[in-house]
Amino acid sequence: MSIEIRNISKRFGNFVALDNINLDIPTGELVALLGPSGCGKTTLLRIIAGMESADQGEILFSGAEATHLHARDRNVGFVFQHYALFRHMTVFENVAFGLRVKPRKERPSDAEIKRRVMELLGLVQLDWLADRYPSQLSGGQRQRIALARALAVEPKVLLLDEPFGALDTKVRKELRRWLRRLHDEMHISSVFVTHDQEEALEVADRVVVMNHGKIEQIGSPDEVYSAPASPFVYQFLGNVNVFHSRVQGGYAEVERHEVSEKTTAFVRPHDIDIALQPLEDGLQATVQHVHPIGPLVRIELQHNSEIVEVELSRERHEALQLVVGQAVWFRPRQMRVFGADQLPRSTPEKQAFLF
Amino acid sequence: MKSTRATQEPRWVRYTLLSVGLGFLFFFLGLPLVAVFVEALAQGLPVYLEALKEPETRSAIGLTVGIALAVLPFNIVFGVAAAWAIAKFDFKGKSLLITLIDLPFAVSPVVAGLIFILLFGAQGTFGPWLAEHDLKIIFAVPGMIIATLFITFPFIARELIPLMQSQGKDEEEAAVSLGASGWQMFWRVTLPNIKWGLLYGVILSNARAMGEFGAVSVVSGHIRGETNTLPLHVEILYNEYNAIGAFAAASILALLALVTLVAKTIVEWRMKKETEMLNTVLAPEKT
Repeated sequence: MSIEIRNISKRFGNFVALDNINLDIPTGELVALLGPSGCGKTTLLRIIAGMESADQGEILFSGAEATHLHARDRNVGFVFQHYALFRHMTVFENVAFGLRVKPRKERPSDAEIKRRVMELLGLVQLDWLADRYPSQLSGGQRQRIALARALAVEPKVLLLDEPFGALDTKVRKELRRWLRRLHDEMHISSVFVTHDQEEALEVADRVVVMNHGKIEQIGSPDEVYSAPASPFVYQFLGNVNVFHSRVQGGYAEVERHEVSEKTTAFVRPHDIDIALQPLEDGLQATVQHVHPIGPLVRIELQHNSEIVEVELSRERHEALQLVVGQAVWFRPRQMRVFGADQLPRSTPEKQAFLF
Repeated sequence: MKSTRATQEPRWVRYTLLSVGLGFLFFFLGLPLVAVFVEALAQGLPVYLEALKEPETRSAIGLTVGIALAVLPFNIVFGVAAAWAIAKFDFKGKSLLITLIDLPFAVSPVVAGLIFILLFGAQGTFGPWLAEHDLKIIFAVPGMIIATLFITFPFIARELIPLMQSQGKDEEEAAVSLGASGWQMFWRVTLPNIKWGLLYGVILSNARAMGEFGAVSVVSGHIRGETNTLPLHVEILYNEYNAIGAFAAASILALLALVTLVAKTIVEWRMKKETEMLNTVLAPEKT
């Protein structure tokens, strides 16, 4: 089932949670709503589910008007951040709930319910926990049961609100991959909300970056990471060095067409080269800190009054053998310039760095 | 070696506090309770049982239990509805509703009784209309039920509001998104989650309903064998210098109180166990 979101706005008192949102989610796609807390992503998800009503705008399911459809009639599976399992029911009864509350005519027989529930529990690999209560499960198990419960009614759309937010890193990674596999097997549309950029980039087909109730960018994980449409997206997805043209003396070269003082250049830490000899168009700096972090080595350089963050591979660092206090030269390999109006400038295609 | 912890108070402080606490309990709770039974049984068990067999005493017991039972369904419906509205919705006048629920705790029961006399009495607002339709509320059982209702309705709501607030509405939302209707959600998800809290509130409001004196006294009219509840009956008997009868009736009230106390303790214990089980926060999964 495809979802179309048209001009949706929502306020809570004076707070604008959503400001004229337009978004199409085609059938079968796994979409991530990514943004900092308070950006409106959860509100949007709840409006799609029918748990919150929009002040204006409409929602279409498979092209049909669904704005005022009751949550119970939307055929949407919802997975909550804190699982929301029925605490007084066993795992089996939790998963069976959606089948047991069907109108008598559509309700499957007890034997059929049992078969379906055990099949779903098998799918989430927890059939051995059928008789336990939610309180006896670990966080990861609870979230998988919550997923099985949502899938029991065969929803056309699966909505997940920060599904892995309350879990620790290792479980989160496992569940992520598992969700991706599940999504591909079930042939449904899924939307999940997250504030974790790594999660969004790894799992989703498409990432919708939101901020202050607005959509900043919609694109594939690669697009939003390597071609961010706004300074916000640049900064939200990964580390970035921000250079102001005022500080960078030779920087006017890039900006020679317009003499705007307030342009800003964004450079990812891993897009900077360091050399021990003066570089033709490099800048000089002093090594401030050297932090080996996993496969990378993070170097902090001081250039005039600014700190520049650089990430080198271990091999590169072995070759350079940087020590604190050493004088080096650095040069960005690629960068991106945004104007004062914060909109992408004329040719955002990975520009060469010119001083 | 003397093992005193830094946080431990000196011995005399502990003993003083302990004896003040226990002494107070003995003089103001233990002694009166024992006195009730001693007085009631002063002339032996047969006389005690005889006093309880008095038709007026028996009718008072019946009326007390009857009123408590009549009030119960109203209290449950109101308590659950009010707690639901307050815990799960945002609406204008919410804080006003919360304040109003506490009103019966703040108002003297006698004033509560008088309010109903002013409303339903012969000279009251609805008095003429009631007389026309030959309906009797004041100095009759309906008035006593209404007065008891006024006194007891906060108990269940007050018990449920914090419970339902702490549970949030995630589970209800999950039920609805799975296709449950409003009733199915209530019976299958909400009610099971609040059942112990509800029972606790029922016990408390029941105890109050059976023991209520002031409000009921004002609207009852003290018609013997008709509108006398146990507490009112105790007063009448005592004023007539029928000590055995008064204390026998009082002993029934005291017994009801003890039963309530035991029931309350059991429910409290169950509730604590259940909340502990349901709210266990497990350490993040390691494997």
